[in-house]
Amino acid sequence: MGVVILLIMAAGVAAMLSRKLPTAFALVLLALAIALVSGAPPTGENSLLDTVLQEGAPALAATMIAILLGSWLGRLLDETGIAGTLVRKIVEFGGDRPVVVALGVLAVSTLVGTVTGSAPAAMLAGIIGIPAMIAVGIPKVTAAGTILMGIAAGMPFELPVWQFFSSALELPIPTVRGFMIKLFPFALAAAVLFVLIETRRKGVEHAWSLKSVPEKPLSRRQRLGDAPWYALLTPAVPLILALGLEVAIVPSLLAGVVYALVTTTRPGEMNKRLLRTLYSGFETAAAPIVLFIAIGILLAAVKLPGAVEALAPLVKAVSPQNPVLFVLVFTLLVPLCLYRGPLNVFGLGAGIAGVLIAAGIYPAVAVLGLATSYNQVFGVADPTSTQTVWSAQYAGVTPQQVMARTLPYVWLVALGGFTVTAATYL
Amino acid sequence: MTRTVTTGRAVRELAELDDIEFAVRLLAATPTHEGRDPRLLRQWAYAAEEFGAALDPARCTARIIERDGGMERGLIARYTSRPPAVELYTDTLAAAEELVDRLGWRDWYPVGSVRAAALAHEAVHQRLHHGPDKAALRRSLGHVVLRLGRHTAYGHVAGADEIAAHAHARAVCGLGRSPLLLTAALAATATPHGREK
Repeated sequence: MGVVILLIMAAGVAAMLSRKLPTAFALVLLALAIALVSGAPPTGENSLLDTVLQEGAPALAATMIAILLGSWLGRLLDETGIAGTLVRKIVEFGGDRPVVVALGVLAVSTLVGTVTGSAPAAMLAGIIGIPAMIAVGIPKVTAAGTILMGIAAGMPFELPVWQFFSSALELPIPTVRGFMIKLFPFALAAAVLFVLIETRRKGVEHAWSLKSVPEKPLSRRQRLGDAPWYALLTPAVPLILALGLEVAIVPSLLAGVVYALVTTTRPGEMNKRLLRTLYSGFETAAAPIVLFIAIGILLAAVKLPGAVEALAPLVKAVSPQNPVLFVLVFTLLVPLCLYRGPLNVFGLGAGIAGVLIAAGIYPAVAVLGLATSYNQVFGVADPTSTQTVWSAQYAGVTPQQVMARTLPYVWLVALGGFTVTAATYL
Repeated sequence: MTRTVTTGRAVRELAELDDIEFAVRLLAATPTHEGRDPRLLRQWAYAAEEFGAALDPARCTARIIERDGGMERGLIARYTSRPPAVELYTDTLAAAEELVDRLGWRDWYPVGSVRAAALAHEAVHQRLHHGPDKAALRRSLGHVVLRLGRHTAYGHVAGADEIAAHAHARAVCGLGRSPLLLTAALAATATPHGREK
């Protein structure tokens, strides 16, 4: 039976890889198929309808709310000019030294990455940041990679991600936070090294381009003006509350929303701006929320007693228990989280993580180490992830070029994460 | 036929514009200047033009590489610092020369002047990247970002180096009009894949 489930999973991966099915739909179909072959009854305890669909769909509800609040805050950072002001100031102060500009944009991306993720995060930092870097001579692939590496450096402190791993792996938030603090230095070091090495290796380039002069004057949107300096602290507010003062995730994000609002908006305009950005945040959050519904359903399916019983012996046989082997094997498997592969945490990887925990193969916190380390790779180098596709295309290069340039760095981050996991939790 | 007429009219309208207008448009299209006061952009454009035109002529010491594929990539020339090289896109240069003939702009852009302008342009990028001129350009633009007592910090104005490079190319190559006019005309008449409209 376990082999049948693995074959179903392989078919699901093939459907996702070949783009025959959107990831969320493929995950739900996978879950239904796994539940059926595991012998789950249609209704009742551990059943297809009641357990997998009814209980699975809202299982990650807290994550969905966190994603929505992060998207709301992201929209506010954009609309109030906070993100744009940060990038503009960096270019004005450091524009003569491209590496300084790149490091500054990296810092902005890291801050943004702590608030929200995926393509909206890339857009927040990249819409001005990428062309600004290109304008000071940073090559296009390096510019796109800088945004992605920055967001990934912020990812260990992205509060919705904490909530996701806490809900999906059934771990308390302090445990997730504890590991993320250990992972962060690797992500930050890799991001800074990327900028320093790549700007030195590739130098600068300036092009006499046909696109440099628009045929007609640009229509000028109303000037937002620079956001005040104290408003620029907005991305740090949720972080300080959740990390420093151990406030829960939802109130921390809400505090960020309120801070952005009161530091940038006249009282008479607050209601209108709040509603507008909230509704816009819903649009941004729609895709990840659908994915989290599907992941919840898949997790419920792989945790069914029949599925655990069937998969446990197989997975146990191939999962290394020796710490050195653990690090080696999972480091070699890093490419499997690319191209929506089976170790993609926001895909089948979540199901595999569920199996590893449910079957008792690794402690949940070790699975957290695996999943978050793969997430650092996926978040930067996967040519099918929305933030990578958006950043590459906006910079005028291909996602594959960005993958080739960034993969060595994020692979090292994953190696660091696996090493910490093996040393601490195995 | 309609499209050719429209394009012809667009190019004629471009030729009627002042050279400084192209520089202002370049700045306005450069990120970080979204929504800036057009008067400030014009002031910076003038300053950058003056700075570039007044630069001493200098030979381009970077390796020169000639290649095609420029029309497809929308490029006329490119300077890279590692290794120091200037790439000249021969197909775009040829299209520019052909366009000059077609539009009767030879008085403004003599034969072979586009290639010479490209080399002069990229030479400015090279010296702005390596030499003390970048600080001088920043001072001449006068964009103050910080004042502490008698110390003043001048900010970087993205795109100003590009205007200076074009102004320098115009001055040292004896062009009648800015290379930015030719750039805009070429962009207006060519599709991204190099086919004429």
